[in-house]
Amino acid sequence: MVAPEAPLAPNGPRTDRRGRRRTGRALSRSTPLLPAVVLLAVFLIGPIVQAFYGALTNSSLTGSAAQESEFVGLQNFADLFADPVFPKSVLLTTAFLVFSAIIGQNVLGLGLALLLRTGSRPVRVGVSTVVVGAWIMPEIVASFAAYAFFAEEGTLNSILGAVGIAGPSWLYSFPMLSVILANVWRGTAFSMLVYSAAINDVPPEITESAEVDGATGWQRLIRITIPMIRRSISTNLMLTTLQTLSVFTLIYVMTGGGPGTNSSTLPVLAYQEAFSFSQLGFGTAIAVILLLVGALFSIIYLRALKPEVD
Amino acid sequence: MRKRALAALAVVASAALILSGCSGASGDSSSTIKVAYQKYGTFVQLDSLMKKVKKEFEAANKGITVQLQPIQAAEGDYYTKLALQNKSSSTAPDVMYEDTFQVKSDVAAGYLAPLDSYIAKWNEWDQFLGNAKQAGLGDDGKTYGISMGTDTRALWYNRQLFQKAGLDVPWKPKTWDEVLSAAKTIKQKLPGVIPFNVYSGKAQGEAATMQGFEMLLYGTKDTLYDTNGKKWVAGSKGFSDSLQFVQEVYQGGLGPTPQQALDKNIGTTISSEWLPKGKLAISLDGSWQSGTWLSTGTAPWPEWNDVMGQAPMPTQNGQSPGATSMSGGWTLAMGSKSKNKSAAWNFIKLALNKENSMGYDIAASQIAVRKDVAADPAYQKANPSFEFFSSIVPVTNFRPATQDYPKISNAITVAMEAVMTGQQSPKQAAADYDQTLTSIVGDKNITK
Amino acid sequence: MAAEGLTAPRHRSLRLVSTLVLVLIGICFLLPLVWVVLASFDGSATLTAKAPSPFTLDNFVKVLTPENAWIPLGNSLLLSAGCALVTVVVAVLAAYPLSRYSVRSNRAFLYGILFGTGLPITAMMVPVYSLFVSLDLLNSYPGIILFLAATSLPMAIWMAKNFMDSVPISIEEAAWTDGSSMLSTLGRIVVPLMRPGIGVVFIFVFIQAWGNFFVPFILITDQAAMPAAVSIYSFFGAYGAVAYGQLAAFSLLYSVPVLALYLLVQRLSGGSFALAGAVKG
Repeated sequence: MVAPEAPLAPNGPRTDRRGRRRTGRALSRSTPLLPAVVLLAVFLIGPIVQAFYGALTNSSLTGSAAQESEFVGLQNFADLFADPVFPKSVLLTTAFLVFSAIIGQNVLGLGLALLLRTGSRPVRVGVSTVVVGAWIMPEIVASFAAYAFFAEEGTLNSILGAVGIAGPSWLYSFPMLSVILANVWRGTAFSMLVYSAAINDVPPEITESAEVDGATGWQRLIRITIPMIRRSISTNLMLTTLQTLSVFTLIYVMTGGGPGTNSSTLPVLAYQEAFSFSQLGFGTAIAVILLLVGALFSIIYLRALKPEVD
Repeated sequence: MRKRALAALAVVASAALILSGCSGASGDSSSTIKVAYQKYGTFVQLDSLMKKVKKEFEAANKGITVQLQPIQAAEGDYYTKLALQNKSSSTAPDVMYEDTFQVKSDVAAGYLAPLDSYIAKWNEWDQFLGNAKQAGLGDDGKTYGISMGTDTRALWYNRQLFQKAGLDVPWKPKTWDEVLSAAKTIKQKLPGVIPFNVYSGKAQGEAATMQGFEMLLYGTKDTLYDTNGKKWVAGSKGFSDSLQFVQEVYQGGLGPTPQQALDKNIGTTISSEWLPKGKLAISLDGSWQSGTWLSTGTAPWPEWNDVMGQAPMPTQNGQSPGATSMSGGWTLAMGSKSKNKSAAWNFIKLALNKENSMGYDIAASQIAVRKDVAADPAYQKANPSFEFFSSIVPVTNFRPATQDYPKISNAITVAMEAVMTGQQSPKQAAADYDQTLTSIVGDKNITK
Repeated sequence: MAAEGLTAPRHRSLRLVSTLVLVLIGICFLLPLVWVVLASFDGSATLTAKAPSPFTLDNFVKVLTPENAWIPLGNSLLLSAGCALVTVVVAVLAAYPLSRYSVRSNRAFLYGILFGTGLPITAMMVPVYSLFVSLDLLNSYPGIILFLAATSLPMAIWMAKNFMDSVPISIEEAAWTDGSSMLSTLGRIVVPLMRPGIGVVFIFVFIQAWGNFFVPFILITDQAAMPAAVSIYSFFGAYGAVAYGQLAAFSLLYSVPVLALYLLVQRLSGGSFALAGAVKG
């Protein structure tokens, strides 16, 4: 297997034998980095810089501000913080992160990874294929599938109907629950794969000796397996959180952020304000806040985990 | 070594360029003119017109290609997509299908080109009615859009369902209460039938504002905009009364379920399914509705004129003039970034000559804005509903013609959605609207 | 793994319970997917998953026209392959010094890369649109390919570096002493040795680009240039009453390449955990 089993482990040998050389040497060694640096600078850092400036203007898709946008200082942020929709959206985004990523995908992913070790081969292959299938599908298809599942005349309600329960219209009455479940469905595979790989790396002797000592399955999980894979857990928590923070298509297709603003997480709100309501500057302000939140998570992740980069 | 790195960069860049060579991106030379318009759901009549005009135009103007760019998006999304396109000079269309309410705003945005110099040399311009000319003006008084047709709005109702429910036909409601009581009777007598549709919510965009909210508000004593003082109206009783009406329809179970109403495809569903299949009794809707049911439409319904009746939308308490309506319409406009303006103008001129105007007005059930079309017997006989919808022109209203209107229209749909879903009371929603209004136009442009 | 013999009876019942739970979870995950498959063969498809009646291939026939399917799918292919190609070339180039030299600036760069993987790209679409307008790149495939490549670069560089780390350095050292340049060493020695790893990165990036909806949704306005993700979306409601059967059929066609590539990546890396294994850092 060529895939690195443990990318965080110390890496292969390196040519440090020449020791420190002139800086010119170091520079020329870095030249292959140049294309990457250029691409990242233009297409990732560029828009970020643009965002910080754009958020301070009244730029618009129509009206005179579309032609000549004005610098309005922090007006967009002032308007945003005064708008009751904003705290609501922050709350919804948090709920989406906590329930679908941190709890849903991680717990279910870990559970699946553990269960998959005990199941018989056909069950194992079948279940993991289905779970991975939901993850690997193009997001727009997954979104339609989830929409059809939760729709008022959808699969979920016809199953409930078969056992005599009249299901509610999920997307309307419980939009957040629907999109949270859909995101768990869509994203669990990632956590499952990460945890499966991590558990595979736990030396079997350790769990076996614990078993000989009479530890129950539950005790072995809590005392041995989880501490052994805690690094993977924290990495995975971070990655799923960040992925979930930028989920747009799933919510946009399933509920459009509605009804009202009942499932408008920050990405959906930013889209709506910037594009549907033509207020580019205002929408950019929301995007900036999202970027800052993402950056904050990233920094926490880097500091807490100190991934070994060399 | 650095040279080699640069060479590698060049490889990457050239790979990208090779790829782009086979991309579907459009040519930009001035021998091509791009025409952007909406094609969505049951609305395909414009697509047919554009295809026909493209053929005629290319035959008459050798060497110039017309590139049709139908935008497949619901009404609200159409404006967004068009604006996204207009903002960049490489994607901006030469000719576009432009809603009259968007004209002033897009003129201010610098998207549209003035047409006065072309009109001056166009002998058919006299054929256009005054109101239609008015609708294409920018804030600077210049003409930016040539009207394709206009419309009015009223109550469409199903005669058969009314008779079944024991209601009088023809129906002539005098007040809002009479409209609601008819809906209540239908709800009671005909379970399974949706009594009354009022477009509402963000997903319906301008359809919710105009067919829904403004058809109510302009039947109260208040308006959206004080034309004389040039100020927007905040905190009016009419505003919250109109929201109250929306709330009664949706929270009172007289309308579609809010979930159905918030589906952006509801317009398609209503005209191609609910009305023809007798699932909906009353719809507060546009004069163009029957276009879908003609033999040229997407859901032909030969009996439509026997089944469907029309009644003017009454004012709130039956006060003078007794009924109300709203008129809008769409224009063809020229993009300011067009590289071949004279070809663009020739295309517009051809698309809106008498023959093409008439063909479109009939197919899409538009109220003609050209005198020669309106007077043509072929047009008059084409659709039995034309007479009714023209008859309410005297009580019709127009939307505030300011560049801020599109944003305010969005704020109205937000208020409607909050009320119809029960998330806010009409009072709260109206208060939030006032706040948004202030942030859009500023305190000094508001009257209370 | 566990010693089967020790507590066999308890083990067996435990196994039964866990199998049952697994199957149950599997069914829950399967249900939404089933709709796509069943509806695509259904002559009267609704939003509910049900046995096709009548069973028909009509939906596929109707969808498989150049305008509906082939052009959008071709556009998707162009975008994804272009993006994957650019990304792999740039990522492998960048990974080489990162993997082979210990330079202080590399460390900063790698931290920057990791930081970049965390930024919510969807949040950037508003400013990216503005950037594309000012660079006049809307509807431009090179522009969109380069942007997509930039967004997938952080992860791709990280993966490529990890793959390269596992290529032993001893062979290169011989080439170094022969005086080969860095790039020729990379091209002639390292790249052939890490071919499967490059394949994994390529497919990983390709799958992501193939499924991306939001980026082309904002940056492409020309109907003829739309990739399948966006044309599926406008299909939803663009043809009168929503044709669920056709929507499902198109969705299925559009998903098949991705599923096939996933199987291929499993082959390449010899295990099902390759993607997650490679990204878990």
